[in-house]
Amino acid sequence: MLAAFLASWRLNVLTILEYRANAYLWFAFTAVYHATAVAALAVALHTFPSMDGWNMRQMFFLYALWMMGHELHNGVLFGVVSVPDFIREGRFDRFLVRPLDALFQVITVPQATIPDGFLLAVVTFSFAAWLVHLRFTPVATAAVVLTVLGGAMIDFGISLAVATVAFWFVRVDALRWAVMSLEQEFTRYPLDIYSRGVQLTLTFILPFAFMNYYPASWLLHKAPGAVHLAPQVGVVTPLIGLACTSLAYAFWRAGLRRYQSTGS
Amino acid sequence: MTAIVPYLEFARKAFAREATYREDVLTEVGSVVLRVYLLRQVWTALYAHNVAPAHLPYHAMITYTTVALLMSLILEVDGTRQIRTRVRDGSIATDLMKPISVPLFFFSDGLGQTILHALLIVPSLLVALLLVRVDLPDLPTFAAFVVSFALGYAVNFLVNFLMNLVAFWTLETFAIQLIVRWVSDLLSGQILPLTIFPAVLGRVVFALPFSAIYSTPLLIYTGIIPPARWATAMAVQIAWAACFALIAATVWKAAQRRVVVQGG
Repeated sequence: MLAAFLASWRLNVLTILEYRANAYLWFAFTAVYHATAVAALAVALHTFPSMDGWNMRQMFFLYALWMMGHELHNGVLFGVVSVPDFIREGRFDRFLVRPLDALFQVITVPQATIPDGFLLAVVTFSFAAWLVHLRFTPVATAAVVLTVLGGAMIDFGISLAVATVAFWFVRVDALRWAVMSLEQEFTRYPLDIYSRGVQLTLTFILPFAFMNYYPASWLLHKAPGAVHLAPQVGVVTPLIGLACTSLAYAFWRAGLRRYQSTGS
Repeated sequence: MTAIVPYLEFARKAFAREATYREDVLTEVGSVVLRVYLLRQVWTALYAHNVAPAHLPYHAMITYTTVALLMSLILEVDGTRQIRTRVRDGSIATDLMKPISVPLFFFSDGLGQTILHALLIVPSLLVALLLVRVDLPDLPTFAAFVVSFALGYAVNFLVNFLMNLVAFWTLETFAIQLIVRWVSDLLSGQILPLTIFPAVLGRVVFALPFSAIYSTPLLIYTGIIPPARWATAMAVQIAWAACFALIAATVWKAAQRRVVVQGG
């Protein structure tokens, strides 16, 4: 399995080297995607300097922390978003007849992606951490690393769940688009500003709040806010990530059992 | 007059094709309604803790945001997106042989999708009205908004068309399209009113063509552009539309000469 994983990465890198202009364009896209989000935040916070006690620097930190987990997932595990396409085009069936786990095969389909967005995220986060004067004590550093790993798993679990819906409804483009854009658009604000229902949803159902809000509240010494969870829960992101991925994987297995080819 | 018949048929076909994917359509309505709900909470938090800008009281901001989201249901349709796949698989060559105007074919296809999306606005609006209070302008203002929106639609179509024509020169255009889309979302006033952009930036964004897409109709709707300045504002929109029409016609001519058959 490790050999197959490494071979797929070799192909990714070779593809990138072959189509360099294309790789630069996609990197430019990633940079613009995040730059416009930060620019929108900066413009809004220019007119409205305080968001429920969070200033622009802290909001930028919140965004950068989410960006790292999100980009780590995008760079390494992005393959799952292609599952609906594979199913529609009838290409999914080939994964089922091969002697490796279907999900593993999906992830290792060469996508011509390298985690360049993640590197951008690390640079962005370092800048944001400097802006909020974050002290990189061993505990804080470990918390950041664990948040990023757990955050990537949360992201993965949710995109796996969305991809699994394709076993029932073949076309899920709109759902995938909605979840992706809602995630980017609304995780950038502190959870306290939302109504209780939204806070509970983002904590327990789609636990995006563990990718940035709870860890950032803890790292920035914010008072307990949303749904009255102590800021210390910020360090449990890896556990939430593990739970989220396991649940999504169980859902995926159920989808697989139910799967009938589209015949195309 | 008979010349228009095939194009009406193209529009009807596109409408029927899009309407088959009912879950997608429902997801889109759901996603817009959810955005209205969440953005209201974001603006409520920002207005609660800061001094409101004089020209944009809370209710005007909520109206602006909600109408912008409903407009996006129409403006995010891109009938010219097929150019990319058609250039890739070579079918553009047979399209060019048909006794029709290919750009008009794309326009009618987009229009058919637009009509379906325009119908989606009705359920979205009804649900959105349960969540937020939207200001209703007087009849002349609403009429001016509709005219200005139509001009914005034309500018948007031409910008999309131009972006998709890039496919004739380089085959990978998706990244470029997404970059333009994200930049355009921010600079067109879809996300934030351009009137809150700080100093110099504020003047720059109004000088760019993107402002003709969302900003002008929305500022007319919310009364920030008074009736005395409607004519000037729309003249600027017409100028941008004419300018892009000219560029698009030139590029389209050059593109036709460049058709390279990709084989297969």
